[in-house]
Amino acid sequence: MKKTRVLFALLVAAALLLAACAGGPSGPAEQRNDSLIVLEWSGYEEESYWAPFAEKHPEIYPDYAFFSEDAEALAKAQSGFYFDVVHPCGSWWGLYVEAGLVQPIDTSRLENFDKLFPELVEHGVINGQQYFIPWDWAYESITVRTDLVDELPTSWADLWDPQYRGQIAIFDSGESTFYTAALALGLDPYNTTPEQDEQIKQKLIELKPNLLTYWADYTEINQLLASGDVALGANTWNDAWATLNDEGYEVEYVDPAEGRLSYACGFGISANSRNVDLAYDYIDALIDAQSNANMANDYYYGAANRDSVPLLDPDLVDKFGYDDLSVLDETNFQHPLTQEQREKMTRIWNEVKSEQ
Amino acid sequence: MKREFGKWLGWAYYLALLFFLQLPILLLIIFSFNDSVLLVFPLKGFTLDWYRQLLGARELLNAARNSLMVGLISSAVATGLGTMGAIAISRYNFPGRQFFLNIATLPLVIPYVVLGVAMLILFQALGITLSLWTITIGHAIINIPYVMLIVAARLSGFANNLEEAAMDLGATYWGTLMRITLPISAPALVAAFLSSFTLSFDEFSLAFFLAGTDNTLPVYLYSQLRFPNRLPLAITTAAVVILVSVAILLVSEWLRRLGVERNARQGR
Amino acid sequence: METKRRLFVLIAPPAIVLALFFLAPLVIMLLYSFKDNTFGPLLPLTFKHYITFLQTPSFFRLLLDSSKLSFLTAIISIILAYPVAYFLVFYTGARRVILLTLLILPAWTSFLLRVLAWKVILGSNGLLNQTLIGLGLIQEGAPVLLYSQSAVLITLVYVWIPFAALPLFAAMERIDPRLHEAAQDLGASPGQTFWRVTLPLTMPGVASAFFFVFIPTLGEWVTPTLVGGVTGIMYGNLIQDQFARALNWPLGALLSLVLLVLVAAFSYVFNRFIPITEVPVST
Repeated sequence: MKKTRVLFALLVAAALLLAACAGGPSGPAEQRNDSLIVLEWSGYEEESYWAPFAEKHPEIYPDYAFFSEDAEALAKAQSGFYFDVVHPCGSWWGLYVEAGLVQPIDTSRLENFDKLFPELVEHGVINGQQYFIPWDWAYESITVRTDLVDELPTSWADLWDPQYRGQIAIFDSGESTFYTAALALGLDPYNTTPEQDEQIKQKLIELKPNLLTYWADYTEINQLLASGDVALGANTWNDAWATLNDEGYEVEYVDPAEGRLSYACGFGISANSRNVDLAYDYIDALIDAQSNANMANDYYYGAANRDSVPLLDPDLVDKFGYDDLSVLDETNFQHPLTQEQREKMTRIWNEVKSEQ
Repeated sequence: MKREFGKWLGWAYYLALLFFLQLPILLLIIFSFNDSVLLVFPLKGFTLDWYRQLLGARELLNAARNSLMVGLISSAVATGLGTMGAIAISRYNFPGRQFFLNIATLPLVIPYVVLGVAMLILFQALGITLSLWTITIGHAIINIPYVMLIVAARLSGFANNLEEAAMDLGATYWGTLMRITLPISAPALVAAFLSSFTLSFDEFSLAFFLAGTDNTLPVYLYSQLRFPNRLPLAITTAAVVILVSVAILLVSEWLRRLGVERNARQGR
Repeated sequence: METKRRLFVLIAPPAIVLALFFLAPLVIMLLYSFKDNTFGPLLPLTFKHYITFLQTPSFFRLLLDSSKLSFLTAIISIILAYPVAYFLVFYTGARRVILLTLLILPAWTSFLLRVLAWKVILGSNGLLNQTLIGLGLIQEGAPVLLYSQSAVLITLVYVWIPFAALPLFAAMERIDPRLHEAAQDLGASPGQTFWRVTLPLTMPGVASAFFFVFIPTLGEWVTPTLVGGVTGIMYGNLIQDQFARALNWPLGALLSLVLLVLVAAFSYVFNRFIPITEVPVST
């Protein structure tokens, strides 16, 4: 019975052909004209964050597709998943533009645009055009359970101090860990030579005895710190500190000598969007002073809208400088990365993690 | 004397291992009745509150319903396709038979992470959006070999003279298949379906790669493990799932044994 | 001719489904490993991920390390399960099926939650730590075992013991008890009987048990993620990372391919000695 063999051969050949044709991004997905599809982090779908949109379009409730990692969102967008609006963080913005996934934004169509902090808005400009509208911003630093350590770290380099052996959980991110090691070595993370990359890799391998585990999202690191499994949460956002502080734990958010890291996230409109008008209205609603403040207060982040500041928790404004963005000058703001930069950072992190 | 000692030692070891294996499960069940969010001793007090909350947990029930659908459909597909394959390999000798058998049983040994990756790439390349359907396909593939081996084992216990007799009496081949072959394999079919269902219902690794926006129960539970205050609800779900899957497997085992015994009685 | 048509109708549907959704994905995965990056066109093909792989000895070491961990898991599971299977088959008479069922019952419950249960047991507020603190053996504080290779090993052994116990039990049930009597009649001591009769006869069961534990644990990534921490990481995590975070699908495809080749080679060799996929034809 040769037939079965022939059948198999034909099918394998068909599969090969299929693969050859389908190598690139695939065709458009479902068409929707009466609704808005938002590619969003889970937890940001609260109606209070976009109330003006609901007022203007009471008949439309946005459809959400959630992601929990920036990588996941980009993979989804690249694979042809249909969306109108997407909410990636700053260091990923460049890749969306590079791949032609988003369209330039006509800022005159956003009523609230002029109220945004210019220090944040400028990062959304890529190739001379505004592609992303910043919404939320925060720091990345070290959260410490002060009751569990003898001495507080005062710099990124202190993470390598043997006294913290097995007491640290670090963000499972090639990008963040690269910055951390580069800063500890006194290097400029955006301009490293191959020798310096190797140095950074070795530095990260040297950190491993101090690491207990990696953390992947804020609930995980909060849990690790709250249970006391670790004393230091490296590359944590200010919300880790704020959440634990609210729950009565003795915590400190370090201001490292090399400067904190900082970043902003924001919204872009899909190049394939069929609901551009709705997309503009939705983004405008998000950056409304009250909506922006509602989100910032829920997550302890900074708001991109200047007029939101009076609506924020004054203690947090004071502690984190949410009212005057010149604080960003003392931090290492995370710029959009190119594909090559990101590949390099994840390659180094792969090698570090696989080193036993 | 020595044998008595051995027996005593054996019991001690058996009970120790039983304790080691059952303890974690027991802990989960105990904590599902504990009146506290934290999974630490001492216990706070008895409550049925988590079970009450379970009935109102929409997303969780949704995920459970998704798992049920994925399990039912993928097991039905796997049982159908696996049975066809089983009849072919146990009733026919043909070139490529061993090749087919090797390929069809390969999903038994392939690490799910590898299969998950491969199928994810396929669906992405074809532009198929991930959904419950993609998980269903994945689960059907991993269940086909189990079905094939279970049904083939049953069929190879029966020489096909019954089938030949039916056809001698004028029945068509397909009629014989429906009236003789399938009824003969019925216990194996049910057992294969049930074990497929259980595998699918609990499968996480493959589903994790192939899940779209709708989650199956294990994928949902995994996303909940990170939220400490939702842990009790996850554990309560586990307690319910434990009881249900044990019940299903007891039934499937009973059916399988029924088949084997009848097999033996008929002198094969 | 008629026979051919019938066979074709029977075998075509499963063959097509397997070819489309099992073989085709593997072929495409192979092609992907030559792709430049996750997105963009397939062509031109490149060897750059193969070069990365070959230039990164830590990937190899991790694969070796994970294999060692899987090997240990299989061996320990067999060592723990063997005496129990022996006891059940030779000492407990008709009750043995019920006793075995009790033992393997946990294998039928949610895999994720069994792992989670160990996280609860091994955690800083967990049963083990609290017991040790209660006994005054350690001070309050960090978990003793959680987030380590040992934690992964303990959890994996726990999860896989039932799968080792089943083939061992089946192999021992097949031994004719008269063989034992014969050996003893010929003057063999119980020890000699075990080493010269029982053990050799149960070796196929031991081999199956090894196979059914070693192979699935090779691709593990969930257990290390939950209880492994920094040192307990396994090769499967490296694969999963390429998809969840690193966004390097081609490298992930290559890493999967390496594991697949390893598993296929092992299964092939194994299947030559102890056939698991042999079905007799009764025509």
